Amino acid sequence: MQIELQQIHKHFGKAHVLKGIDLKVDAGSIHGLVGENGAGKSTLMKILTGYLSRSGGRILLDGEEVECETPAAAAALGIGMLYQEPQDFPPLTVLDNFIVGRDTHPDNHRGRQQARLQNLADQVHFNLDGEAQLEQLTVGERQQLEFLRLLGRDARLLILDEPTTGISDRQKERLFAALHQIRDQGRTILLVSHKLEEVVALCDRVTILRHGEVSGEESAPFHIPRLLALMFDQSPATDAKPQRRAPGDALLWLRNLSASGERTGLHDCNCTIHQGEVVGLAGLSGSGQGLFLRLAAALVQPTAGEVEFHGRSLNRRDHRTMRRLGGCFLPANRLEEGLIAGFTLVDHFTLALRCSRREARAAAERAIDKFRIRGTPDSTADSLSGGNQQRLLLSLIPTGANMVLLENPTRGLDVESAGWVWRYLRKHYAGQGAIVFSSAELDEILAVADRVLVFFDGRVVRDLPMDRVDYQDVAAAMTGN
Amino acid sequence: MRSRVRALLVSAAAALLCLFAPAAVISAEEVTFGMLLVGPHNDHGWSQAHYEGGRYVEEKVAGSKMIYIDKVNPADRPGLTIPMVVDDLVDKGATLIIGNSDDMKDGIREAAAQHPEIKFIHISGDDVLTGKAPANLSNLMGRMEYGKMMAGFVAGLTTNSGKVAYLGPLINEETRRLAVSSYLGARHAWTQVRGKPADQFRFKVSWIGFWFNIPGVTADPTQVARNFLDTGHDVVLSGIDTTEALIVADQRRKEGADVYALPYDFIGSCNSAPEACLGVPYFNWGPDYARIVRGLANGEWKQSWTWTNPNWADINDIDHSAIGFVPGAALSEENKAHLQAFIDDLGSGKLNLFSGPLNYQDGTPYLQAGEKASDKQIWYLKQLLEGMEGASK
Amino acid sequence: MPNLRQHLTDTLLILAIVLAFTALLLAIVGASPIEAFGHLFKGSFGSWSKFSRVLNVWIPLTLCSLGLLYAFRSGLWNIGVEGQMVLGAIGAAGVLRWGVDSGNPLLMLTLALLAGMLLAALWALLAGWLKTRGGVHEIFAGLGLNFVSMGIILWLIFGPWKRPGIASMSGTEPFPAALWFPTLEGWRVSPFALALTVLAIIITARVLNHSRFGLNLKAVGHNPRAVSLYGLSPQFYLLIGIIISGALAGLAGGLQVSGIYHRLIPAISSGYGYLGLLVVMLANFRLLPIPFIALFFAALNVGSIQLPMMMQLDSSLSGVIQGACVLSALLVFGLRKLKRGRNP
Repeated sequence: MQIELQQIHKHFGKAHVLKGIDLKVDAGSIHGLVGENGAGKSTLMKILTGYLSRSGGRILLDGEEVECETPAAAAALGIGMLYQEPQDFPPLTVLDNFIVGRDTHPDNHRGRQQARLQNLADQVHFNLDGEAQLEQLTVGERQQLEFLRLLGRDARLLILDEPTTGISDRQKERLFAALHQIRDQGRTILLVSHKLEEVVALCDRVTILRHGEVSGEESAPFHIPRLLALMFDQSPATDAKPQRRAPGDALLWLRNLSASGERTGLHDCNCTIHQGEVVGLAGLSGSGQGLFLRLAAALVQPTAGEVEFHGRSLNRRDHRTMRRLGGCFLPANRLEEGLIAGFTLVDHFTLALRCSRREARAAAERAIDKFRIRGTPDSTADSLSGGNQQRLLLSLIPTGANMVLLENPTRGLDVESAGWVWRYLRKHYAGQGAIVFSSAELDEILAVADRVLVFFDGRVVRDLPMDRVDYQDVAAAMTGN
Repeated sequence: MRSRVRALLVSAAAALLCLFAPAAVISAEEVTFGMLLVGPHNDHGWSQAHYEGGRYVEEKVAGSKMIYIDKVNPADRPGLTIPMVVDDLVDKGATLIIGNSDDMKDGIREAAAQHPEIKFIHISGDDVLTGKAPANLSNLMGRMEYGKMMAGFVAGLTTNSGKVAYLGPLINEETRRLAVSSYLGARHAWTQVRGKPADQFRFKVSWIGFWFNIPGVTADPTQVARNFLDTGHDVVLSGIDTTEALIVADQRRKEGADVYALPYDFIGSCNSAPEACLGVPYFNWGPDYARIVRGLANGEWKQSWTWTNPNWADINDIDHSAIGFVPGAALSEENKAHLQAFIDDLGSGKLNLFSGPLNYQDGTPYLQAGEKASDKQIWYLKQLLEGMEGASK
Repeated sequence: MPNLRQHLTDTLLILAIVLAFTALLLAIVGASPIEAFGHLFKGSFGSWSKFSRVLNVWIPLTLCSLGLLYAFRSGLWNIGVEGQMVLGAIGAAGVLRWGVDSGNPLLMLTLALLAGMLLAALWALLAGWLKTRGGVHEIFAGLGLNFVSMGIILWLIFGPWKRPGIASMSGTEPFPAALWFPTLEGWRVSPFALALTVLAIIITARVLNHSRFGLNLKAVGHNPRAVSLYGLSPQFYLLIGIIISGALAGLAGGLQVSGIYHRLIPAISSGYGYLGLLVVMLANFRLLPIPFIALFFAALNVGSIQLPMMMQLDSSLSGVIQGACVLSALLVFGLRKLKRGRNP
């Protein structure tokens, strides 16, 4: 099936996230779609699979214009998607999962469906036991099952979203072989991935998105530096950076640290954070940065290795110990993890400062003034806008904090506010301690940090002082090169 | 200060009372009596017998009126206490309160102390004997021991296997003496009337834990009854308020087994399965209640502990006999004649089954040879007797 | 005060729905709703003695509801309140049995109530531990422990604590009058128990609404993930919340033993724990309405005895009314939320 997108636009309120995307995928080809976080890949995929409606533009399948307004409509047109997280029913067996959702199918005979599953599996050399409980399968096997389900319902366009996350190398090889095989049968495959090496190995053509626009289109053979250049903005000028100071005493040690979570987990991480450092954690989202911060904050327990803060091991300790010693963590999900919906500013200050209501009210008033929070001491946290929630979180950092861990601290802030936040943080916390932050935007990290840790697939692949940072090198490391 | 608050509250309550209480005008000879029934008033058992007794009084004693409240037990009515219901009945004009369950002993005593002007009857209790009762509380019970002897006698006459079973409720003095009476009646029939050797006779008692089935708390009487029949017993005597034993026996008869049962408590209990029913010993509370209410109407009250005999001239005389026994449809004519002779002998005093020598279950002597049990010896029976199987405590 | 007006309209709306529903039900069985409601009212508020019976129900019901409020604040559904009340009764009865001959009844009664609260708090802690350590949902843990507590109380009454020679559903041997919870001459409800309950209400109001502890508890209930960042341990507050919950239920159980039944009976909790859940839900998990709703429910419980006596109706009508109250309250609250969602 040939698919053509013409001038696809998408607005979320005032935000214009897709700005006229043109994309053409030939029948019987594997087409890659790459881009930084927030470039618009997911939005485009959701439009194609009917989960979002588009604000403008046309979708043509084999030259015919179609509507893809609901997931069911998209599925009926032969568009199937393989999600990062398997969309299945763990309490059921493999065969049940294969059959489920096909209640209207004329043939629901278990024996025949089992034969069908087996047949499909044999075609692509997958090895699945129909009677196995899904709970006992690995992520890779569950993905294989999903893949077979899509094949079984005659999907002619398969969209794969980061298909190699969390699966073994052996399973990856099988998957790639299967993709080549079904392409040769005439099916069309759209591969969404961060991992350029995979894109290069698999795809016939690649479209690169940047800031909601197509920044380029390339055919095999690919030149990776060129792809990177199309994905990321040009390296910004670095002269605005404050003078790097010599690091002081070591504050935080991470030794041989491993932990599970966040899809990739974190593997064998070693690093020391010193007083006076501002450390930026770079990497495509979900590569282990969040886990790194939560381990450092003693919110998550490692499966191996050790975290030490001010000479005290944080293993089998919780965040309270960290906090007593001057640690502080600001999560990206402000309302889910950082603030308490329904609680007012005064309530938050009472909790954070452990003081009387009167003192808390005074503190809230000072914070509103100082941090320019649009709200009153009696506003509830959930009634604030995202930016103001972030200001509130910042204002709750204890004044004596010497290790400030921040996850995407400027997300949702405009440029001016972000600049103000960084000036504030540097002035108040970088001198007496250290700041460690993650960010989805490489530019921000390069502009703010003294030192960069680059994450890829749950590992720290670079640890560079800023004077040795090369933009292309970091961008390549983030994508596994 | 405290007394002023109290005075305020009392006057407020009094104002409420004036607003809402119907003007209660009771003429001197009218007696309103309150009846606390432990089970449903239509349970075909213990509580219904009391309820009918109350209705009998209303019919026979002009101007008398019953207010009853049934299911007075903490399981059916959580939070309810006896003093609380009594207060309410007194508010409604009751001058006599009858409590029909042993379980109400403490509550009735407490309520009697709170209402010295009201008269109380506690059925099956012994507070008067023990001296715990205030002067306005009497005890009343019928001598069901005779009814149980008759039931046991009929069972002993009918059994082929020589194995008779007794489906007991919980274990206390009352239930022990009733089980023992049944045993004595059955053994008498087996050895004296049928002339069979005593060592071929078995009498087994199983206690379910309460007067009726409470799922999860008591043993299931249906299961216990089935168990009896499965282990060779062919007559089951019921000591509980409900008719599971009879129902089970009837089912087995329909499957071809030659088995029987005797229910307990209520005159109409045989009706649900007449073919399996050898008879039922029952209480007839009407005459005693009528006597007490009539006395009260004439201003007479004397504290007493009363244990009423059957009317030996005609035990089924509804106007005069506190205890009766209705032979069941399944009882043969021949055995009916034996039963009548047995009743006559009991009535004339020719026969007294509580005569020595009798030993307790553990072998210690209960009655010496030639000794006859006193009322107190029977009332406070400490154990089952030698020859009976089953728990004494 | 638009807030107050809204609560008032909500309450009236709920009452209207319940009255209409109950009247319809009564009409279907052919009874006069006016007469039935009249008997319910007269049976609960018609005299001082009846009203004092209502208060006797109000005391344990309010205590259980207050306790539940602490658990709810920390985000826990303490279904185990019923069993905690039973354990409280057992603890109190144990001390009173032991102290029958002590000669210092006041000390014994104090110890009995404290022992009841302690035992019930430990029982609640067990449910809390199952939740925080074992990952067992507190509803299942609570239900399971309720069954176990029934088993324990039946075993005690039919086993080690049975009356001399007799085991009976009517419970253990009553305690001597000296060990009854003190009351005043002529009172059918102990003013001291009343005072204790009012004190519990006042303390709860202070703690939950005006103390930092109350705020922390509420924070844990609202967002257990976030509170870690404020240096609070969610587990600690969950456990404290359920412990206080249990202690108040235990106090209710202890008062049932020492003040109402003067002995241990199998149905000592009288279902007040479960009824307390309804009270708290109807109060929309707020403190202020609880004493009033508890009074209303207690009046229904006490007044309903009139129905079988005067109208040969089943007294379970009171339960129907209570259930209908909660359902229509949930309906009204739900509609209110939906409406708010539509026009923010």
